[in-house]
Amino acid sequence: MRLYYEIALRSFRRAATYRSAYIAGLLTNAFFGAVLSFVYLGIYGAGGSVAGLSVHDAVSYVWIMQSLISIGSGWLSGEIMQTIRSGDVVAELSRPWSFYGYWMSRAIGERAFNLLIRGSLTYLIGFLYFDARLPTSDDALAFTAAIILAIVVSFAYSFAVNLSAFWLIDSTGVMLIANITLGFFSGFLLPLAFFPPALAAVARALPFQAMAGLPAQVFLGQLKGAALLWALLLQAFWAVALTALALVVQRAAMRKVVIQGG
Amino acid sequence: MWSLYWRLVGARIRAQMQYKLSFWLELLGFALTTGLEFSVVAILFTRFPSLGGWHIAEIALLYGLTETSFSLTEMIGRGFDAPFEIMMQRGTFDTVLTRPLDGFFQVLASEFQLRRLGRTAQALAVLGFAFSQLPISWTPAKLLLIPLSVLSGTVIYMGLFIIGATICFWTIKAPEVINAFTFGGNALASYPLSIYNRLIRTVFLFIIPVAFVNYPTALLLLGRSDPYGLPAWSAWAAPLVALIFVSIARGFWHIGVSKYTSAGS
Repeated sequence: MRLYYEIALRSFRRAATYRSAYIAGLLTNAFFGAVLSFVYLGIYGAGGSVAGLSVHDAVSYVWIMQSLISIGSGWLSGEIMQTIRSGDVVAELSRPWSFYGYWMSRAIGERAFNLLIRGSLTYLIGFLYFDARLPTSDDALAFTAAIILAIVVSFAYSFAVNLSAFWLIDSTGVMLIANITLGFFSGFLLPLAFFPPALAAVARALPFQAMAGLPAQVFLGQLKGAALLWALLLQAFWAVALTALALVVQRAAMRKVVIQGG
Repeated sequence: MWSLYWRLVGARIRAQMQYKLSFWLELLGFALTTGLEFSVVAILFTRFPSLGGWHIAEIALLYGLTETSFSLTEMIGRGFDAPFEIMMQRGTFDTVLTRPLDGFFQVLASEFQLRRLGRTAQALAVLGFAFSQLPISWTPAKLLLIPLSVLSGTVIYMGLFIIGATICFWTIKAPEVINAFTFGGNALASYPLSIYNRLIRTVFLFIIPVAFVNYPTALLLLGRSDPYGLPAWSAWAAPLVALIFVSIARGFWHIGVSKYTSAGS
């Protein structure tokens, strides 16, 4: 356990070192946040509530999503895929630790940094310039749990997709499809509340909302009591299911590597 | 110069076509990704009647125009993106400078991504949808405005790509901030300029003229007026604006080249 903590810590520090990279990322997120906020301010016009969301909610939703991009809610990183393609993965597989645990610790360290610094600063811009909503202390506590579960789910998904590179020489296409599906069905591009009923039902049956849509709803205080508990349980279910899937994919991939003779 | 450009680019296209399956998959991928982008806007408009008085077909016009231009720039201008960044990092830009040919031209001809046509096809489909829905009274002048506008837009985005690459002469790594202006500019131009605040409107009209990619053209075609007084005839100024902007970008590039010190590895 100590080992994985150290890996996560180093990953956190590494993320903190590239200051110009995260400031640039933050500004880009804030710019998109501003553009989309103006779209909602314009489209709501006089105000009112549409599909249970007021203009205030919709704008806050935009800023939550921009803040969560860097923790894997919007799209996936192809880092593991690149090590498989280049062959560097051999070095990591030969080390005396769990391959899954290693990459997960790295992801947690980096995402913790992104959430605490990049994400919260992005949200601060939304709060200052677009009056994005601040959660109540209860919602903030529930959001912390939701976000931890979201990171576990999104890491498992990303890991499984990345490992497809063991079978396909070029998995750019798989990555592209995986990203489109994630962005659309997670509620990252548009709140699921705005979806037509049939499409919303499909989205709610898939694991993707556990990575973005559900935490955002928790943050906005739309889920209380039993509904909140149900959302967290659903996230926990997907966390277990996708982690199991990722480990199965890893097992199959390891067999594949052995067959190839390393 | 042009025949040389086509020879170099032709070689790149033939190389890409060697991986036929990969090529078609990526082409399809680009069409799908951006197709989904517009579906999201379409879904949003099932819940709301209009955005500041603009309906879905009018938004489709804005989106189709900027997206067509942007995809064409991505096709021809990617040499100024990753390939150039790698040249900077490895110091191989030295080789470019020793050849008896303009460096700018060599970087431009170093990459050509035919697969981006997937994105262009999607953009043209959305544009087609817009034209089928909108009651535009076509005149020869309005017909001429469409290709002119797409071309100006392509040149304006090209200017941004060049500026992004030029910053590499100082920073070695391409600054991610340029994404806010390229991808972000394209996203911004997908909606009417009148929904933004004064700061954004001013910056994107007069400093980084991304608004000229499509907004005045849409005003003119739709016979609309801008609530802040931007005249619709300014659509005809877009080619001039594009030319000025790309000239400034090239001037900046030349300053960058003169400041170039190799990576020294």
